[in-house]
Amino acid sequence: MTLTATSLSATSRKPELTLAVIAVVGFVALAIATGGNLLSAGTLEAFFRFLAVPIVIGLSQMVVLAVGQMNLSVGALTGFCAMAAAWLMLEAGLPAPIAVLAALALGLAVGLANGILVVLTRINGFIVTLATMTIIQGLRYGVNGPDTFQGYSEGLRAFGRASILGLPAVFLVAIAVAVLVGLYFSRTVSGRKLLASGGSPFAARLSGISNDRSLITAHGLSGLLAGVAAVITVAASGSVNATIGDDLLLPSFAAPIIGGVALTGGMVSVTGTVLAAFLVRLVDVMQAQFGINPRWVDLIIGAVVLGAVLLGTVRQKLQKGST
Amino acid sequence: MTAQVESPAPPDAPPAKPRRLPLWANPRIGLVVLLVLLVALFTTLRPAFLDTRLTLTPLQSDISVYLVVGLAQLSVLSLGHMNLAVGRMAATSAFAMGLVHDKLGAGLIVSLAAGLLVGALLGALAGLIISRTGVNSFVVTLAMDFALVGLITILYASATDGVAFPTMPSGMEALRFDTFADYCMGDVCGPRIPLVVPIAIAAALLVGLFFRWSRVGREVLMTGSNMRAAELSGIPTRYRIVQAHALSGLIAALAGFLLAANNGAFSASIGDSFLLPSFLAPVLGGTLLVGGAVSVLGTALGAALTQVIYKGLNLLQFQLDQLQLYIGLVLLAALSLDRFRHVLAERRGAKL
Repeated sequence: MTLTATSLSATSRKPELTLAVIAVVGFVALAIATGGNLLSAGTLEAFFRFLAVPIVIGLSQMVVLAVGQMNLSVGALTGFCAMAAAWLMLEAGLPAPIAVLAALALGLAVGLANGILVVLTRINGFIVTLATMTIIQGLRYGVNGPDTFQGYSEGLRAFGRASILGLPAVFLVAIAVAVLVGLYFSRTVSGRKLLASGGSPFAARLSGISNDRSLITAHGLSGLLAGVAAVITVAASGSVNATIGDDLLLPSFAAPIIGGVALTGGMVSVTGTVLAAFLVRLVDVMQAQFGINPRWVDLIIGAVVLGAVLLGTVRQKLQKGST
Repeated sequence: MTAQVESPAPPDAPPAKPRRLPLWANPRIGLVVLLVLLVALFTTLRPAFLDTRLTLTPLQSDISVYLVVGLAQLSVLSLGHMNLAVGRMAATSAFAMGLVHDKLGAGLIVSLAAGLLVGALLGALAGLIISRTGVNSFVVTLAMDFALVGLITILYASATDGVAFPTMPSGMEALRFDTFADYCMGDVCGPRIPLVVPIAIAAALLVGLFFRWSRVGREVLMTGSNMRAAELSGIPTRYRIVQAHALSGLIAALAGFLLAANNGAFSASIGDSFLLPSFLAPVLGGTLLVGGAVSVLGTALGAALTQVIYKGLNLLQFQLDQLQLYIGLVLLAALSLDRFRHVLAERRGAKL
């Protein structure tokens, strides 16, 4: 099973097809079970509005998984960028577009710092981002202490509430980001280099690819995507405080792993990640619609992650057996 | 106060590094120096740092808990695996202890044994899934963490009226407040060391002995070092993976018990703060994530270092955010220095 740089081949599309079927069936089943309530304009819009952040944060994790790394700081970084953007608008009085750009730049900078630390120290990325997560959590809290920022730029809030053709604008942004990430990995030289480094660092080096540069690029991109998630959060939620991002770390892994991205690096699946985020959101909505204890959701997602991984292994074994 | 046992690289370490690293490149010695410097620094800034009752006794309790937490992670790091559910295993086991005591009226020993059993079974389950399916341990234990997080809240909501059991087995109070100074034989009283410390030291000694001398322990290390070679040498690697994970769950349960004793309740929040320290203690102590080698003494030093930093910054009245910021920075610095020293030593070794 070498899906290294030749990702998105016929074999890697299969899990996505399975996921798509499950997603459609689940969505229809839930729509019927709720007596069509899910399809009412308000519910459907809320469904997609709160799908935007899970998609982007899943992609943020996926980018580092592509080079065989992990980024434990994605959640904390999202919170930090969101707090920084709100601070720029409220305390520094800057207009919203500048605050948005600053949040993106901050995410990129912290991500690059993660990558540079990994390359310079040669310490496992898991440990490095574990340490930077702690640091960023401190910074996130330092922006405004335990207090909440609210009442910032009307324009940004309006964008968060806006919808185009019945779909929330923030969701469309998330999809656009997903398409860009997909194009990056399938069409650009830099993206292919990341996959080559992740698939086999040794072979990549022999082909003249700098693995160090790949690591830094991947971490930088991951930080940038965390910045995008932060902007979406600020726009869609209307108020931010220092707990933003605390509940994002586990979903950030759940989406790519359910979506079929290997932890060993060398392959990505944007479609799979997006579909998996959709599935997780379905479970969430199910909980809200039927008034189930929210804790069951964690239990179910845990089981789904495990189930997805087990299915993947079984499929691999079957494929090996058939060839 | 630490176990005098450490495991060197396993006998089948690659022959590429025939020479031992020089003494100054030993991460344990670096940790001791760092520890001494930090204690000196904190004492200069705030003499209360050496106050036995206020600082040193609670510090020893904290170090004990996090040493055991680190050992739980170390047990699977020996394989090159991770256990992300270490905190949740501790919480589930603590729930079992509370339940057995609260509903059945069992004593301290029986409750503890029940909790340890639950922990070991959870660990074994994780190990079984990993060894049967060959799925990355990170994913399996992450999913398990997800599942247990939900389960624990549901369990506490159904078995208690809130987030904690109202009662504790008798003897837990003594573990919480008493030190050996409270127990005298005639005029001779013990030192002011909390009762949980010997439990942690015993755990560290046992784990050290397990990896150093026991056949199973050596085979676990070999499995971690090179699974294929281990298999070809006739080691039942699947079984060893299950055993190492069961050990991790068992020790996590013990950590949960010690934290419950320190906090004074079996509560749902036990284990929430375990994940980061569980990696820091062994990694600072020189245990690698790739498996094949462990250092129990290093883990003890790593746990001590982390807790000294927490306690010191706390005493200096740092705010929560600054506390996190500085602890992250100190850890990064410690890890980088360690790495730097290692690289330097390897270069020296190569020139000789």
